[in-house]
Amino acid sequence: MTSCMENPVMPCAMTGACAVLSGFSGLSVVVHGSSGCYYYPRSILRAQLYSTYLLESEIVFGTVDRLREVVSSLEAEGKPVAVVNTCIPALTGEDLANAFEGTNAVFVDSPGFSGNAEAGVKAAYTALDIKTADVSAVNIDGVCGLDLFARGNLHEARRMLSLLGIPVRLSFAADSYSKLKDGAAPFSVSVNPAWDSGVGENLGSLLFLDIKDTMSALEKRFPNADYAALEEEWKKADETMFYYADKYLRKYTPPVAAVAGQGSYCRFASAMLTRYFGSDIAVSLPREEVVDYTEVSEKISAAEPDLILGSTFEASVYDAAFFGITHPDRSRISMSARAVSGVEGGVMFMEGVLNALMDYHKR
Amino acid sequence: MQESISEKRLGGCALGGSLAVTSFIRDGITIIHSPQGCAHQMFSAYHAMAADSDSFSIPKVIVSNITNREVIFGGEEALLEALDRADAENPALISVVTSCVPETIGDDVEGVCASHAAADKIVYVPASGFLGGSSQDGENIALISISKRVSPSEIVPRTAVIIGEKNLESEVEENYAEVCRLLSRLGISVSLRFCRNISAADIIKLGTADFFIIRDERVEEAGRTIAENFGRPYVSSFPSGLSGCVRFIREAGLACGISEAEIEDAVSAEEAYQAEQLSIFKELSGMKVSLGFEPFAGCHAVAREAMQRLNIHETADGMEIKLPFYLPVGLSGVLKMLYLWRREKRK
Repeated sequence: MTSCMENPVMPCAMTGACAVLSGFSGLSVVVHGSSGCYYYPRSILRAQLYSTYLLESEIVFGTVDRLREVVSSLEAEGKPVAVVNTCIPALTGEDLANAFEGTNAVFVDSPGFSGNAEAGVKAAYTALDIKTADVSAVNIDGVCGLDLFARGNLHEARRMLSLLGIPVRLSFAADSYSKLKDGAAPFSVSVNPAWDSGVGENLGSLLFLDIKDTMSALEKRFPNADYAALEEEWKKADETMFYYADKYLRKYTPPVAAVAGQGSYCRFASAMLTRYFGSDIAVSLPREEVVDYTEVSEKISAAEPDLILGSTFEASVYDAAFFGITHPDRSRISMSARAVSGVEGGVMFMEGVLNALMDYHKR
Repeated sequence: MQESISEKRLGGCALGGSLAVTSFIRDGITIIHSPQGCAHQMFSAYHAMAADSDSFSIPKVIVSNITNREVIFGGEEALLEALDRADAENPALISVVTSCVPETIGDDVEGVCASHAAADKIVYVPASGFLGGSSQDGENIALISISKRVSPSEIVPRTAVIIGEKNLESEVEENYAEVCRLLSRLGISVSLRFCRNISAADIIKLGTADFFIIRDERVEEAGRTIAENFGRPYVSSFPSGLSGCVRFIREAGLACGISEAEIEDAVSAEEAYQAEQLSIFKELSGMKVSLGFEPFAGCHAVAREAMQRLNIHETADGMEIKLPFYLPVGLSGVLKMLYLWRREKRK
């Protein structure tokens, strides 16, 4: 028995695959489907994507020729190509995976009916077949175009690893395709475990409350790195967040929160609110488990939160203070590289939460 | 990429177009018979558009959620489950819109809808995703499918029904207000916006309209079909440009059977109002401009007419001015364009 749902809050597998592949510069990404399929990843990822813009007639007579036409014109520009498959070409039984045998093209079979964005992310990383190299460095993992904080998290992770003196080999998925082909480092740290590639031994996450454990794991592999400065930075950030949370708690009771987003951010947000406010997390709705908007709405309404952390889907359910931690956040114009990962990301998260609460109280 | 891509390839999919109609029936529910991702794409896009208008409302969409299992065993059971779920909420109307997947796996969607207990309030919209054509095709299919629920009845004089507004354009309400302003010169009111923020019960007003106003050529097929089915005249598009406003008043008046003298009075009043509004832009007189790329067919004609009225000259080396992305509607659309030109001059 299948399970129909109302207003699913997660994009499809094809979009997830595009989010990974478009993160690698020097790789041309082609959506093998209609313009209707193409427009969505193009608009939310704001990345250069191509499409075969399939027509009905091409479905009837086969799509391989059309795909070859588009791929060849892109390959003529000297860049390798990745093809992301969509529902109908996947259903018609054409042998697309072998259509480019002997070329450098990457083929990702991630039609929408195969699952949601997480399935597409996994399919893309599997198709990329990333090898590791014997180098003394780490990869930054968990950077994904579907994450509101992808760019900021990446900057912060690079800054922190630079402070430690640990070289960064590759960033998934925000790097050059040619570097990717040279191989990844044997270790990875993640800015958002929900979107990890799984390449290399995972040494932990850089989400604020995980940083100490991750530094311990790094120290075992990189004993000569300088950890003191970052430890000091973490301690100061922790004190600052307690200071402002204390100020808030002098005036107000701890926020009762509803949290929605990828599981990793839900856990991070819940742990931060518990640590600095002693908050009750009234409801936590990880996208991996709950994607039906009606279920989301009912659970948030029943919880009567005074703080919602999630997307503007959740914000539209109930009148409460809101801080966006997952896509989409239509409540604000966002251009800068904001982070929630790393030391600065932790502080920025708390700053965002406190300002949302204060603004709400002032209304 | 050095490929020329035909307009046909860029037209989006019919599912999106159909949903842009059905999800604007407030007390209805739309079922999308598709994988969940299609539904997310659509309602997420509407959420973005609504946010542009400072509203975070989300249309209710139930998706049958076709997965690998339904691809192999068929999706009719999934559709049935979605219909039961929708019916349990007792909506006034259930629109069933299909994506390309059920079309390919051979589901008998029409049969499932017809045999359901709530069949009398189900509208089957055979959009078939991109296999059914472009977004534009989807809008036409939905408008025609829904209109079939209503029969012609006694005309309410001087009422118009608008067919196929662009529900997702950011200035849809401003354009509607401009059309109402022009119609009010003849005492004509809009009895129904088919389909924009209406209730299912409102659809019956299709049958009482004195005439129809088709939004533009995009929905011409639906507009003509509905007008023919109801045996009523129609105006073929919203007014564009200054002379377009006058033409629109005349066409609306004739469609309603209003006397020529009354129509000419309305036209005179509109022309005087246009002259008054254009006087705001006197400082543009004598300016030399270059129009450049035409973003939407008809934009150049609208611009040139305004230029002629304001004594603005077109030259190859003139100041490059910005044209609206869409064909400006009515006088208000022209004025917004002129404000952009004035800003350019004042920069």
